[in-house]
Amino acid sequence: MSAHDEHHANILLYLDNELGGQELEYLLAHLDECADCRRLLEEERALSNLFHSTRPLYTAPEPLRARIAAIAGQPAAFGDKPEGKQNHLLRFGWRNARRSGFRWMALAAMIIVVVFGLTLVPTVVRHAEAATFIDTAVATHRSYEEKQLPLEFRSSSPEDLTAWFAGKVPFQFRLPSSQSLPGGHPAYALTGARLVKFRNENAALVTYQMKSEAISLLVASDKSAVAAGGDEIRSGSLTFHYNTRAELNVITWSTHGITYALVSSIHGSAQHSCMVCHQDMADQGSFK
Amino acid sequence: MFQKPNTSPAADIVGVEHIGGLFSYAMVLTRNRNEAEDLVQETYVRAIGAMERLRPESNVKSWLYTILRNIWLNELRQRRTAPQRVEMDVEGISVGIGTKTLDDDPYTLYVSTLERNRVREAIQQLPAESREIILLREYEELSYQEIATILNCPAGTVMSRLARARAKLRALLSTTWQTTAQSGKEVIE
Repeated sequence: MSAHDEHHANILLYLDNELGGQELEYLLAHLDECADCRRLLEEERALSNLFHSTRPLYTAPEPLRARIAAIAGQPAAFGDKPEGKQNHLLRFGWRNARRSGFRWMALAAMIIVVVFGLTLVPTVVRHAEAATFIDTAVATHRSYEEKQLPLEFRSSSPEDLTAWFAGKVPFQFRLPSSQSLPGGHPAYALTGARLVKFRNENAALVTYQMKSEAISLLVASDKSAVAAGGDEIRSGSLTFHYNTRAELNVITWSTHGITYALVSSIHGSAQHSCMVCHQDMADQGSFK
Repeated sequence: MFQKPNTSPAADIVGVEHIGGLFSYAMVLTRNRNEAEDLVQETYVRAIGAMERLRPESNVKSWLYTILRNIWLNELRQRRTAPQRVEMDVEGISVGIGTKTLDDDPYTLYVSTLERNRVREAIQQLPAESREIILLREYEELSYQEIATILNCPAGTVMSRLARARAKLRALLSTTWQTTAQSGKEVIE
């Protein structure tokens, strides 16, 4: 740990009233003569105040508390279960299996929501489904950026990627060749792909690089993924839906039974986002 | 087994008071509300099964956080070798107003909610290592040693990681932070 890091760590301890003795005296003496550390102390104190004022960061939902109280209050019931059954129930992700007490209520509520939703407010349902696809695309993009989703196939060839996805996804996936700017330079470079899951179906994640920006394309069957809402941009027979989520721009569209979500951190309006790649291309006039 | 002697309601169950903290920890690890709920629930299920092995002097809070983290790491390991199931619930992240009560005036509540959401968004932009250390130290107020036990690293590493995480967060939060700094500025003696 460098001297600067040591001062920084001691400043944090000082703010937490956990610094004493010689270390405290040493820090206070240092603060007297170091303007940088005094400024750092002020900044860290302000940050600590912000943490205090925003506690708790999240609030556990009441249904979760109720479920856990039910689990914790019935230890004997779990112990009575056969080992194999218990292991199956305890697998992470099998959330509904643990909620038998709520199953019928949840099922009834779900039926009411679905019936009313589909008959009275189909647009709301459609937009909610579209939002789910967008959120999944953003989460997938973030995970890819953070290297939690390593690529399963690396290639810059659209044809190779199309061949790799054959038989792996429940739709006819074909990746078009990347368009080139005048002079023969591609606007973006294909980097690779992997399989992901969307609503229990395989979906395709295709990644691109444009200068220093990572761009991802989530591709799923339109049976499970919907493109709707947001700012609409029309290009020929296609309608693109432009949304922003957590400083990321997401453009979704559906065609030929497939729904796409293109995620990037490229800033600008809906039309501008399209123009980033298409500005010098022959189809630039078609984005309205 | 998971209950204090001679008590029955959920409020008296050992460890239940940590649900809120565990849920926050699960949220910063998974960044997904449904997965966070699953993770907390699974943590309690595993904890109940292992209660008999817990020594009386054990730190139940640290123990629960360690279980949660281990379950999540196992889940991540499995995902690296299998097709992914990612369903982000970003909308859910902004739900909840924390400890503010209905007695707070609407404006205070509104500002507080905005501020919390901004902090949440900034924290969620940090790498996982930074997210969890900010949460454990600054929100759950675990000691450096408790965090070191949970993360299975030396306390000195915890301190240096925390300093780095706070520095990144300060940069991300500069606007919010400057506002707070101006209103709550304290004179250094």
